Amino acid sequence: MEENREGHGLAEGKILSVWIFLFVAFVLLPSIFRVSLGICHCYVKIVIKMLEWATLQIEEGVKKQKAMALENLISTGIIQRDETPMEKEVVGRCRGCFSLADVMYFSKKGCEAVAEDEVTRRFSSEELLSWNLLSRTNANLHHVSWKLAAVWVTGILIRYCLLLPFRVKGWLSNQVQMICATLGVRCLSGLVHFHNRENKPQKGGICVANHTSPLDVLILASDGCYSLVGQVHGGLMGLIQKSCMRTSQHVLFERSEMKDRHLVRKKLREHIADKAKLPILIFPEGTCINNTSVMMFKKGSFEVGGTIHPVAIKYDPRFGDAFWNSTKHSIMTYGFNVLTSWAIVCNVWYLPPMVKEEEEDAVHFADRVKAVIAARAGMSVLPWDGGLKRKKIKESFKEEQQKKYCQIVIENGSVGSGNVC
Amino acid sequence: MGSAHSVPAEMRELADRTGFTSEQIEHLHRRFKQLSQDQLTIRKENFDSIPDLEFNPIRGKIVHAFFDKRNLRQESDGLAEEINFEDFLTIMSYFRPIEMNMDEEQLDRFRKEKLKFLFHMYDSDHDGKITLQEYRNVVEELLSGNPHLEKESARSIADGAMMEAASICVGQMGPDQVYEGITFEDFLKMWQGIDIETKMHVRFLNVDTIAHCY
Repeated sequence: MEENREGHGLAEGKILSVWIFLFVAFVLLPSIFRVSLGICHCYVKIVIKMLEWATLQIEEGVKKQKAMALENLISTGIIQRDETPMEKEVVGRCRGCFSLADVMYFSKKGCEAVAEDEVTRRFSSEELLSWNLLSRTNANLHHVSWKLAAVWVTGILIRYCLLLPFRVKGWLSNQVQMICATLGVRCLSGLVHFHNRENKPQKGGICVANHTSPLDVLILASDGCYSLVGQVHGGLMGLIQKSCMRTSQHVLFERSEMKDRHLVRKKLREHIADKAKLPILIFPEGTCINNTSVMMFKKGSFEVGGTIHPVAIKYDPRFGDAFWNSTKHSIMTYGFNVLTSWAIVCNVWYLPPMVKEEEEDAVHFADRVKAVIAARAGMSVLPWDGGLKRKKIKESFKEEQQKKYCQIVIENGSVGSGNVC
Repeated sequence: MGSAHSVPAEMRELADRTGFTSEQIEHLHRRFKQLSQDQLTIRKENFDSIPDLEFNPIRGKIVHAFFDKRNLRQESDGLAEEINFEDFLTIMSYFRPIEMNMDEEQLDRFRKEKLKFLFHMYDSDHDGKITLQEYRNVVEELLSGNPHLEKESARSIADGAMMEAASICVGQMGPDQVYEGITFEDFLKMWQGIDIETKMHVRFLNVDTIAHCY
């Protein structure tokens, strides 16, 4: 019995040392010297091949004739909105009349809104038309064939037993920020393509990017040192924040403190005035968006002055959903989801620096930067405030719409015609 | 999507009754779950989470319409406290576009249903007639956002509209005659000539057509 246990202990010790050796050789060393062994590339290629095969299996099983290319994986929504502007619909027969048809127009608009609205659509994870073998992304988990089921099971085993412990071990704390970040990215099987490195943010500038998940920070940090401006989180996220941010160059706020804009602006100005300090990284949307569109940029960071370096980040949704829905998942659930995805593949584009012009106001400048980022990453631009994820819309917007309608009906004060057309 | 081989029986029944395809029903089901926050029923409060709807001046009436038992094709009258997915689909089906293969009779019925839906929106006290006060309410709601508009102007618009309606429906009225209100038949008369079938619909997309476009 004793011998057995010893034998076991020895075997475990051997396995452990093999793990550690593998880890050091293939992950730690290359990260320190920032060299890529191409393992991630191979891995991603293998995953792509497997997904293609799986898709074919699904299609054969369902017996549909569609040849859905893997490129077209993004669904566009369930209704096609009627874009006729209110003026055209309501005017109808005669201007200046109140027409029964107006009620019809507004009830139609109401039904469209109930069926689907642009804002909440951005806050649910992107739907994929094909299944990427993660049960999370498929709403109907149906048994299609034995082969597919076998692959799925193996996939689970690999992900949960092989990749997960490997990654968890990989998450040791590290003093140097960039090594830590690169390590983190490697451990998540992150494959990041950086484009236009010549436009990388310089010291004393402000780096502005679209926000999808906390991983954005990790990815950008693996390629350059930044000072972070962010919300202080509680719980596990707060611990991670504290341990990763030992250097004093970071600026953290409470969300409630953000309301004191002067304070924020003062701190930002101080930071960029000192040319020796690292560039500040800001996510002007203020919250995580699901990576299909860019929402309203809050004007605070654009009022401060200084050079803005826009960065566009686009995740590839086939390998795993990087979007963090903070109202739905806690950081633990999110972290777990990320760790058990296939990989995190994304493209980062560094865009040429932009400066606010003399006559421009901050909001216009923010929109300009937003358009540039969205164009590069292939995302749509929305004027909506990301804060709508949490709060309701302002009364003033509703009144705007009503005022517009009134003007059409009243028509220069000639009231009282009141004809039913 | 990796969809099932066989469509469940309830789904087919729903599809037959409401006229949606099974994919559309699936999409709407997902939207329903989103609105109800994974509960089985929706209440009025759940509609507060739709930012787009806030813009709509007759938002109150639209939400009301979802819970109106007359629209839900139930025998009783009044307002329901909460609706399930089937009821949700029933209301959404009022906004279905016309199909190519509809015959005269079907088209007529379709049109009447849509008009009945609108009629119920006006007739808030459920007595089968749109009175002057109810008409005024609708006009006021539509115009309520404008601070420059006095209440009087809204009323005069509504009064003018009612008079016009009376002349269409009853013809010349004597000085002592009182026009009680617009009944559904009168309402139908007023809408003659306006093609509601092509205007009052929401274009629901078919997933098949999206995939084939590439």
